[in-house]
Amino acid sequence: MGLIKTQPTVESVTEEVRKHPRDCAGLLAQLIDPNPTVRRWAARDLADCPDISAALVERLHQEADISVREVILTTLTGLGDATSVAGLVECLRSEDAARRNEAIEAMRQLPDAVAPIIRGLLADPDPDVRIFAVNILESLCHPEVERWLIEVIDRDPHVNVCGAAVDLLGEVGSGAARESLLRLKARFANEPYIRFAADLALGRLRDA
Amino acid sequence: MSPTFASPPTWPWGVYVTPEPAETGITISEADFQKFREFFYRKTGIQFDSSKRYFVDKRLAERIEATGSGSFRGYFMLLRFQVNGEELQALTNLMTVNETYFFREEYQFQCLVDSLLPEIVARKIDRRPIRIWVMPSSSGEEPYSIAIYLLERWAGIHRWDVEIIASDIDTRILAQARQGLYSHRSVQYLPADYLQRYFKRRAEGYQICDDLRQSVEFTRVNLSERADTRSYRDFDVIFCRNLLIYFDDVSRKTATETFYDALKPGGFICLGHSESMSRSSSLYKVRKFPSAIVYQRPLEVS
Repeated sequence: MGLIKTQPTVESVTEEVRKHPRDCAGLLAQLIDPNPTVRRWAARDLADCPDISAALVERLHQEADISVREVILTTLTGLGDATSVAGLVECLRSEDAARRNEAIEAMRQLPDAVAPIIRGLLADPDPDVRIFAVNILESLCHPEVERWLIEVIDRDPHVNVCGAAVDLLGEVGSGAARESLLRLKARFANEPYIRFAADLALGRLRDA
Repeated sequence: MSPTFASPPTWPWGVYVTPEPAETGITISEADFQKFREFFYRKTGIQFDSSKRYFVDKRLAERIEATGSGSFRGYFMLLRFQVNGEELQALTNLMTVNETYFFREEYQFQCLVDSLLPEIVARKIDRRPIRIWVMPSSSGEEPYSIAIYLLERWAGIHRWDVEIIASDIDTRILAQARQGLYSHRSVQYLPADYLQRYFKRRAEGYQICDDLRQSVEFTRVNLSERADTRSYRDFDVIFCRNLLIYFDDVSRKTATETFYDALKPGGFICLGHSESMSRSSSLYKVRKFPSAIVYQRPLEVS
């Protein structure tokens, strides 16, 4: 017993013998394997397969094991194409808070893919989806974030959507947001929270 | 994985002798820097923010000169299109920072012998070795510290076999680790009797004894490469200290997912004292032991 001695020329970490071929068809089949470890590896390796986003999105919606879902989300984030993003958008409408949060987290990492659709999300008929869209902007590295937030506080009729946007403007807002913040205060003159948050944001404007 | 050296805690000034950009006459423009950092991130996961411009420029200038590329453009073409990837590896070695010492953050080794290993052996149903993975290996201080700790402070070492594997992206630092030669500064926190027992005095400092050198297997691994990490499985404990703090969010998440599959169910991962798993993954269970907080892959999930 004790510390195992190594031989300089032999590595104990060697590639194991494959049970299944790791071609795309084989990996797709493993995506529904009963063993979550097999599913995780398949989801990881499918990143190298062409046109795979739709199958991953489909699996994401069915997958019950969070450890597999996390890997699928990471792979979709890496792919970052329109199908992946559309799949993530569907998750925003899920009744399951964990799935919504996972999608928000993933979309924050995809500024280039999310940018073309963000205005659509911010104009969604469902105010919850609009709030999630503002949540995505919270960590989205994109130069238009402030402009999108300004549009929200200028136009959105829902107090909670505007509340989320004004909170974030307190962080990222510049002088360009000043007029809109003042208009927002006037528009929601009977909402103490909006007045408070708008004042706070006005006080913090970057080049104020 | 994605080692991201946005802000290495210590700079290896004095370790690597690199010419000033001015000395080499090579200039790296802002556009070059942006182009390089995107490429380097994609290949290695290591990300440099603008505050590391000076550090990056110096090392690029050194390699442009060493390879005779003449300009950034020529060098960048070499990096991108060289079939064997030798230059990318040489540059990666230069860009990664390696500084550590024996018994750094010792409380985690204490946690290993007092809490983690007793729990691991209590639920073990086979006689296979206990496997420990240290990533990054750096110059070897951490894996060798673990080996010494096990021999000195864990009675179970007489009943169980332990396998220690230490990996790093930097091949040069791995060669250094295998050689096991250390400065006085590196061993200063070791008890004197350990120093006497496990080291040989050399003109340049101290060399770890042959027995211990053979007790750690050093391997080259890029955490960002699935092909590199795929065969790393069935570990009982992973030490990944002060590495993930340099990663961006996506890379950190990918790394924690890689570790999840490298661990046995119930296996533990020890991060650096300022690091937390909570931002990157909800897969792990937080375990509070008397000497440290560590993360555990849940037992119930197969």
